Amino acid sequence: MSFSLDRRQFLLGSTALVAAGAVSPAFAQDKRLRLTWWGGQARADRTNAVSDLYAKAHPGVAFDTEFNAFNDYWPKLGTQVAGGNAPDVLQMDYRYLVEYANRGAIAALDDYVGKGLKLDDFDQDQQDGGKVDGKLYAISLGANSVSIMVNQKAFADAGVAEPNRDWSYDDYKANAAAFNAKSNGVRLMADGSGNEPALENWLRQRGKALYKDGKIGWDADDLTAWFKMWVDLRAAQVCVSPEDQALDASAAIDTTMITIGKAATTYANSNQLIAFQAVNKSPLTMVNFPRAGAGTGGGHYRKPSQFWSVNPKSALIEDAVSYVSFFVNDIEAGLALGVERGIPCSAAVRAALSPTLSAPDQLSLNFVSNLGDLLGKLPPVPPAHAGEVSQQLNTKAQEVAFGSTTPEDAGPAFAKEAADILARAS
Amino acid sequence: MTARSIGADAAPYGRAVVPSVWSRLWSANGPGYLFLLPWFIGFFGLTVGPIVTSFYLSFTNFDLLTPAEWVGFDNYARMFTADPKFAQSMRVTLLFVVFSVPLKLAFALSIALLLNRGMRGLPIYRAIFYLPSLLGASVAIAVLWRQLFAGDGVVNDFLAIFGIQGPSWISNPRTSLWTLIALAVWQFGSPMIIFLAGLRQIPVDLYEAASLDGASKWRIFWKVTLPLLTPVVFFNAIIQTIEGFKSFTPAFIISGGTGNPVNSTLFYTLYLYQEAFAFFRMGYASALAWVLLAIVAIFTGVSFLTSRYWVHYDD
Repeated sequence: MSFSLDRRQFLLGSTALVAAGAVSPAFAQDKRLRLTWWGGQARADRTNAVSDLYAKAHPGVAFDTEFNAFNDYWPKLGTQVAGGNAPDVLQMDYRYLVEYANRGAIAALDDYVGKGLKLDDFDQDQQDGGKVDGKLYAISLGANSVSIMVNQKAFADAGVAEPNRDWSYDDYKANAAAFNAKSNGVRLMADGSGNEPALENWLRQRGKALYKDGKIGWDADDLTAWFKMWVDLRAAQVCVSPEDQALDASAAIDTTMITIGKAATTYANSNQLIAFQAVNKSPLTMVNFPRAGAGTGGGHYRKPSQFWSVNPKSALIEDAVSYVSFFVNDIEAGLALGVERGIPCSAAVRAALSPTLSAPDQLSLNFVSNLGDLLGKLPPVPPAHAGEVSQQLNTKAQEVAFGSTTPEDAGPAFAKEAADILARAS
Repeated sequence: MTARSIGADAAPYGRAVVPSVWSRLWSANGPGYLFLLPWFIGFFGLTVGPIVTSFYLSFTNFDLLTPAEWVGFDNYARMFTADPKFAQSMRVTLLFVVFSVPLKLAFALSIALLLNRGMRGLPIYRAIFYLPSLLGASVAIAVLWRQLFAGDGVVNDFLAIFGIQGPSWISNPRTSLWTLIALAVWQFGSPMIIFLAGLRQIPVDLYEAASLDGASKWRIFWKVTLPLLTPVVFFNAIIQTIEGFKSFTPAFIISGGTGNPVNSTLFYTLYLYQEAFAFFRMGYASALAWVLLAIVAIFTGVSFLTSRYWVHYDD
């Protein structure tokens, strides 16, 4: 095709950029394990520290690493898988687990358990989170939960109390006027209308689910109510303008509303506190997603924040599995990683880590441990093409935000689009 | 002469004397083809092969890892009947081409005219004006564009001097495409160079004759320069139109690969890329690619058909 050249050039270019950012020095060695993950510099530093530890314990192994922002990661990984050029060890997300497992793009690891892959003291719920049709395809790198990042200084400056675990969307709205009076244009919230975890959390509190039995677990009225609530929050200037929210196109921490100084809170995950703090000057803390109404709960769940999966076609599959096992079990590795990828799943690592944690890390650990009535059951792995539904939600939410459609139309329209995407995928 | 007499004339030479067709071909062109072999292998292996494969795949559903499944014309039917994103991406791309190409050519031509006045240091100016085109498709420029056209970006800082409160150009669905058009127009270097070469070829005596007859500069431009330059305009228009349809990188970077806000920067190629590499629908993406090929071919074909009415070759 005539345009494939441009795309390839671009991919080459971006690969070169990523390669320039990759850290592990490349020397001639017998075995070179390729690792890829999404995340920022903080994660890269910790991951590379573990790789160094592993290389020290296993002479003759070296690493080639790449990392990317979440939204850039998936097209790139997809391209690599398609080209038969997938890395040996790759970071996997709960959302894409089924797709990759069903396509045979990641290896079932059951045969390695006890033989190279040690899961003796590994949290059972986190093991189960990495299973598809009863087979273990992915090793959780930590438990986390969704959370709201809170810029403490913004609240202190505005003289408004920080949100607490009881705040509902109505409470945010009630505090907006007082906050805006002194906030210098900063808004209380990011616009979460197109944020899939925000929607899921809110649906769960209403007794619905994002997906159920591979189909959408909500109906058009739920979505209309959701979009309506956001129209309301937008009108009351509780959240940022649609234009500002659209600046956060690639869902990287660097472009979130809290980091670019547009909002005092933003939707995130509990393990991301460290990464957010790294690019935010003001001290940050965490709180749960807003309640749908006073006293509703069950929206949160202990999610495997991310996994390592192994390329089944890797020539170094044994080493790849050994690396993954080292990553989640070795005490020193655990100390290097901290809770940046979530709360470690190995009880021994957790016990060794807990006394050494810094204040933000302690916060992270405590947050996930003390969800209480906010905690519900882990939902089943989302169906294939859930990622496309998530993108469509973002587009639909923007249509509402920019006024090109109404919540009354957007609810049924999105329900149909989501159902179509899921039906088409199968 | 009749056919029969040819046969009669040829007969005496016989088989033994006339070399076979193959060896005759070989002795004439064989070494040439041998030297061309690397190119042929590349052409058939890397160009023709994939093109044929993609044509086949466009009639299948194929997710790369499971075998392709034949679906006939379903992919093409879906595109034209049940795919609003296809329509949207087509609309965005056509808008982009219709506005960016004429603007870019006009811009390139005016700069070329300025540079064609035999000023000192011409090579330096030429290089400076060409620079954006070298950087144009790069990731860095697309990132820079984001900074320039953000709500608190340089463009709005400039407008603020005149008391204008500009929107966040890049993240507003009403203006985001225009920032990409501006980016394309800014990369006017290569048509400019070609225009400049074309201007150099217009005979000076025509200008002399025209000015002796008392024609104004404006009139000279419309009656002498432009008509004689039409072959170059035609060439540039076709090349830039094709470039426009192929444009991908800026939209990809600026929208974070989503084509948002509200699909306002969902270029056709970006949609194709999403279908192929984000959603793994290689069959559908192949069909999209072939439709794009057809569209570009139609545009080019129409340009060639109409060219006889406005392109003047000096003969």
